[in-house]
Amino acid sequence: MSSDATYQRAGRLEVRALEKRYDDERTGDSVLALERADFEVEGGEFVALLGPSGCGKTTILNIVAGFISQTAGEVLVDGQAISGPGADRGVVFQSFALFPWKTVRANVAFGPKMRGMDKQERRQLADEYLELVGLSGFEDKYPHELSGGMQQRVGVARVLANQPAVMLMDEPFASVDAQTRMTLQEELTRIWQERRPTIVFVTHDVEEAVFLADRIVVLAPHPGRVREIVEVPLTRPRVWDDILGNDRFKETVHHVLGLLKAPQVTEQPTVEAET
Amino acid sequence: MPSLMALRRRAVNLLWFIAPFAALALVWVVAVELTDVPSRVFPALAEVWSAGVGMVADGSLWQHVGVSLQRTVTGAALAAVISIPFGILMGISRPVAAYFSPILRFSVALAGIAWIPLATLWFGFGNRAVIFIIFNAVFFSLTYNTMLGVSRIAPDMHRAARSLGAPRYRMFTEVYLPGSLPSVVTGLRIGMGYAWRGLIAAEIIATSAGLGYMLFLARRFYHTDIIVLSMIIIGLIWLAMDRFLLAPLERRTVERWGMVAGATR
Repeated sequence: MSSDATYQRAGRLEVRALEKRYDDERTGDSVLALERADFEVEGGEFVALLGPSGCGKTTILNIVAGFISQTAGEVLVDGQAISGPGADRGVVFQSFALFPWKTVRANVAFGPKMRGMDKQERRQLADEYLELVGLSGFEDKYPHELSGGMQQRVGVARVLANQPAVMLMDEPFASVDAQTRMTLQEELTRIWQERRPTIVFVTHDVEEAVFLADRIVVLAPHPGRVREIVEVPLTRPRVWDDILGNDRFKETVHHVLGLLKAPQVTEQPTVEAET
Repeated sequence: MPSLMALRRRAVNLLWFIAPFAALALVWVVAVELTDVPSRVFPALAEVWSAGVGMVADGSLWQHVGVSLQRTVTGAALAAVISIPFGILMGISRPVAAYFSPILRFSVALAGIAWIPLATLWFGFGNRAVIFIIFNAVFFSLTYNTMLGVSRIAPDMHRAARSLGAPRYRMFTEVYLPGSLPSVVTGLRIGMGYAWRGLIAAEIIATSAGLGYMLFLARRFYHTDIIVLSMIIIGLIWLAMDRFLLAPLERRTVERWGMVAGATR
């Protein structure tokens, strides 16, 4: 589960000295959104990117997804530098981003359809993944007919059915209610254990990160940078009923919260005033 | 098989749809009766009815309606085939959409009737001038709304498709076209509204057949019964087109998908 695994699975992600500068069109200044981020995600590993807003976690995800380009550094998936979005990196969005004009099944079958899989085959594949996320019986519904939690299950199935090397998740459960969120988190760990996709999960919720991940990349803001990478010492399977009372869970949450709260440390000489 | 309940509901809906027209007809009958207005000024309902029966019997009504509908369909189809791809292309790039937006809004305001003089200069008096007016009325509104629809597709939708492996050329049919459909339907409805008015005006001026011509010809002979008959038919055909063509299009796509149509002119 950790980096000393004896074999290398596909789906290894390397983020090397990644930097992103934006030009502020109003002032003409360039703003450093992300400063030299370095980390690796092993094939089949579950890593969370955690931090407050302005820490560059979504910037990292958008660069890895190929939606925006970095100003320096590189991103490698299984040793290959990425360029632009691609089917090797599937994204689960906070907004779900399901196609409202397609049925649930057609949404899940979209990636395979783009790969040229024939209709019968991709229909079967979609139904299989819908079963995996517990949505059998909803294949012919349209997304707007489902609850938010169910829509995001479709979002997860849609990415998994496309068998990407890396699954990127951008605060995927931030817009569902707390009860549903806990169910979805448990479901996600179950599915991850079953299928072992590589997952990069962006969140600002400490407990969520600790509950889900093998390792947490804790980020600090202004400029966004990696603060520390924390190993999560919890066994699997994980369910909230057991985890909430678990001392190691509490200790890890406490430790990570400390990292997020700690004042700016001395390694940065000066920090200019906030914009 | 629709259930009895559904049939009943449909019948009730139809009654509510007809009720205001029935009321209007009643007012008409009573008003003509009371004021004894000469039929050269305004015809009685019965006169319009018998004029209608006469024109149905000798086939002239169908001829005019047929010509008008044919022109409408030709012009609108031509516009749709050109406007939708054109609007999508412009909408893909936000700067391009922003650049063309004012000129298109300007053109939407002018579309249709204001072009009749130029249309007759370019195409002479006849079918082609009328079809041009219809094309023109639908074209600007549909192009503008398609463009707007594409530029309003959520960026995440675009990103999702690309990261699921959609190549750029497939984005047209997989994302841009369905994603802009609420707006396309709105554009078509508005454009058809302009086109229908434009058609009547153009037929009055430019041809010797069609509903507009029928209206114009009747005026020359003080046939107020035929004038009013033409007006009624023009309105009824529009209602029928909206109810049996445009509304079902909206129901089968936008409403079924839970997408809200943005009313944009």
